[in-house]
Amino acid sequence: MKLTYALQTTRTITRPFSVLPYRLTRHLNGYLFLLPAIIVFALVAWYPIVRAFQMSFQEVSLIGESKNVGFENYELMKKDPARKIIFENSIEFASWSILLGYAVPVVVAILVREMRFGKGFFRIVYFLPSVVPVSIAVIVWRFIYDPDAGVLNEFLELFGIKGQLWLYDPKLAKPSIVAVMTWGTFGTTTLIYLSSLLDIPTELYEAAELDGASPLMRIRHITLPHLFPIMSLLFVLQILAVVQVFTEPFLFTKGGPGRRETLTPVLHIYNRAFGRADMGYAAAWSVVLVIVLVAFSAFYQIVNRRIAARQEN
Amino acid sequence: MDRGFLSSIELKTPKGRIYYGVTVVILTILALIVLFPFVYAFTSGLKGSLEVFNSGLNLIPRKAQWHNYRDAWEDFKMLKLFRNSFIIVTVSVLLRLTVSVMAAYSLSQLKPFGRQLVMLAFLLTLMIPSIAYLVPLFVTLGNLPIVHKSILDSYWGLWIPYAADAFGIFVLKSFFDRIPPDITDSAKIDGASSFQTLVYIVLPLSRSIIIILGILSFMNIWKDYLLPLLVISDPERQPITVRLFYVAKDYGVNLQMAAAFMALLPPLLIAILMQRYLKAGLTMGSIKG
Repeated sequence: MKLTYALQTTRTITRPFSVLPYRLTRHLNGYLFLLPAIIVFALVAWYPIVRAFQMSFQEVSLIGESKNVGFENYELMKKDPARKIIFENSIEFASWSILLGYAVPVVVAILVREMRFGKGFFRIVYFLPSVVPVSIAVIVWRFIYDPDAGVLNEFLELFGIKGQLWLYDPKLAKPSIVAVMTWGTFGTTTLIYLSSLLDIPTELYEAAELDGASPLMRIRHITLPHLFPIMSLLFVLQILAVVQVFTEPFLFTKGGPGRRETLTPVLHIYNRAFGRADMGYAAAWSVVLVIVLVAFSAFYQIVNRRIAARQEN
Repeated sequence: MDRGFLSSIELKTPKGRIYYGVTVVILTILALIVLFPFVYAFTSGLKGSLEVFNSGLNLIPRKAQWHNYRDAWEDFKMLKLFRNSFIIVTVSVLLRLTVSVMAAYSLSQLKPFGRQLVMLAFLLTLMIPSIAYLVPLFVTLGNLPIVHKSILDSYWGLWIPYAADAFGIFVLKSFFDRIPPDITDSAKIDGASSFQTLVYIVLPLSRSIIIILGILSFMNIWKDYLLPLLVISDPERQPITVRLFYVAKDYGVNLQMAAAFMALLPPLLIAILMQRYLKAGLTMGSIKG
């Protein structure tokens, strides 16, 4: 009782809006501290999100009034010849990225975990490309991939492999870009797996060893099951990130090398909005893209939960 | 006793030694591949303007042309580019931290009425990919509601968007939630206002998490390409990520490589110097998405 009394008296002394009842001042105070965040989020996130929907039904004019056009932008999307190509490109990009980059961090993390020395060294080295701005890395990689003077072709020649066109080859452009993306991000993913591996109690391995489990069996029955929840999460996150890729194809190939081999949804949105100043159409594309991505991750979650539930039974 | 799936005794057996050796070799080769572009940029930057095109695997320049680096520094106006990036990023990080700390403090300690709704609205921006509203964001920055002013081509057009960071708010809030209420209560009894409690009690206790968020934000904003490309069209004010790529093709490849290498150094140095904080921050970042 004494303590509450003391609290109450100090409150009457210190509260800033002392005319108002205490509860009200606490809420006012709370919103005073929230105000900067609310203003910023309203301006750069909430309002633009609402505007995205609105703009997708408009022919947007930056100077005069925007005109409502109903579903015209969405109708146009149906006829857009790039739509099918972009869809296929996204699937191919995602497949290449899973193929080239999904297993690497898992394997590397398991290997690094076993190192008795130099763990920190490998960790920081693999992580370094993640901090590099993509646009700067592209300057270097563009030269590495150069068909004439590039070091990659020179290197392959040592083994008698014929030089390739890489970014200029419609077939190789996608994997070439995905390789650079993998270089830039696998270190971060490795660190995430590594920190998860360090959570495994070593007693589990000791017990398995005593029971006569071979090293491979220990990986199969202890390490991988432990990693599985994160692997499953990172799988969907990686696909979501690759489908939204912009900077690499924009700077490496501008969507080329031919007509649209590396055209991605975001690149298409950028071209329409800022190349052709067709903001309404670009907004319609953004809305559809996000709906597709959200639907995909929801579907993935449901399937995942079903599988997990079935395994438990 | 530190062990992985192999015990220390197993590693001493012939099989274990072979396994360990192979692991070291694989990881070292991978490290060399990962580091190769950095080394390649550095040595190509030292070559003559024709020597870079020589065929064959000549990684080491015949005669190191150190003046390339000075030329590239001046031709690309690197000092100005670094300065632009630095101004953009530093102010953005400070603004972001201020906004996020205040919001998280309010949500965690002051708990105003209707905070669940506000948190849901913050969470929404984490779930919706930012590409969804990039185009309207650009339009909004070009014509702010109510005041009808454009902040395109001004650094405010980057500082304000970068200040909104729902991820940081949630991380800070969950950190503030763990501060024992006894500490903040005792400050209140001593007559501290909410602002004083934040500055003298909560902030010193959460210094580490604020440093981690600051470094992560610094690196992410420094790396960003699309938003500065759209917002800043004045070449004098563009950050290094946007401008360097744009002007690179006007110069010889050796100068491009020298400039690229210099541009890569600051983020690399920060990563190496701050790795103690980064390690904690990145695993924390894994929940983002």
